[in-house]
Amino acid sequence: MSEGSELLLSVAEELKLPLMQIARQAEQGGADTASIRGTAEAALRLLDNYALSLRLQERPANLELEPVSVSSVLYDTGQQLDAIARNYGVELELNVTGRYGTVMANRQGLQSALTSLGASLIEALPALESPQLKLRLASHRSRYGIVAGLYTDTPQLTNTALRRGRRLQRQRASRQPLTTISHTTGAGIFVADTILQAMHLRLSASRHHRLYGLGTVMQPNKQIALI
Amino acid sequence: MSQILLIEPDRVLAETYRQALLAGGHQVVCCASAQAGIISADQYKPDIIVLELQLIEHSGIEFLYELRSYPDWQDIPVIVHTMVPASEFTLNRHLLRGQLGVKTYLYKPDTSLSELKSKVQENLLVAA
Repeated sequence: MSEGSELLLSVAEELKLPLMQIARQAEQGGADTASIRGTAEAALRLLDNYALSLRLQERPANLELEPVSVSSVLYDTGQQLDAIARNYGVELELNVTGRYGTVMANRQGLQSALTSLGASLIEALPALESPQLKLRLASHRSRYGIVAGLYTDTPQLTNTALRRGRRLQRQRASRQPLTTISHTTGAGIFVADTILQAMHLRLSASRHHRLYGLGTVMQPNKQIALI
Repeated sequence: MSQILLIEPDRVLAETYRQALLAGGHQVVCCASAQAGIISADQYKPDIIVLELQLIEHSGIEFLYELRSYPDWQDIPVIVHTMVPASEFTLNRHLLRGQLGVKTYLYKPDTSLSELKSKVQENLLVAA
């Protein structure tokens, strides 16, 4: 099997879930068309994000860095996650009150990574028995740079879980590499990881106030320091 | 009316299966994890359990070991209804069927709602 095929296997396995949801809802009759549409759109987005991760891996030169407003990326990510969040009964909360200026990143890449990550976390939250079923999209300043991430009240989102998951996924040693975070293959999290790596960023565990989350640290764009 | 314990981590699928089983005239209790499954088994005394093996934290296999360790729960029929193809259990099939008492193994993507309902009914009739 060629290098990188483990991610393709994860995505293929992951796509069974939305297709099955659609098939079973259709079989039941009186299906909620809004829910089916949300499910299908989330599946299409996963495929798009996977394709982007492949393109970035193969031709990193395509990755044009530009000054990106983290707040606007988080806002757009929230919009894209809205339908799947409603399907899973998860409340999305946007917290972009801080003024952090822009960061140097690829806007499409960053948004795809956060959307992919968010969809995976939304699917997992009910199974993680999150008390509040809330996902907060937030940014904050840390001593390492500007952090953009997705946060919730479940403490399972740790660097240890991520490291172990990456190792298991690389070795194709488990069909559920992120066993403490996701009941599926966690393909969305690995797609986000791959896209961020292509931008020389890293997915890692992060805290926001009292919440636990996954996010990435970016350097502020010093060329345009307006505030 | 039979009491079904459905251990399914995906909320959207759980709701779809719950509705289908309710329509079959059963009472359904849903759980998303192995731990919640054990607590619900104790609380609701289910007549049958429908179980996904891929769960967060403790797996469905761990749930089965825990369940079968209690004498009162030795005979509760369990239907495994999972994303894991049966072919991945070739070597352990005797363990599932024997020691862990799995009556029926269903590969979820290939199992329609009506097939799930009929397997539940079948197992309830055998157990009665």
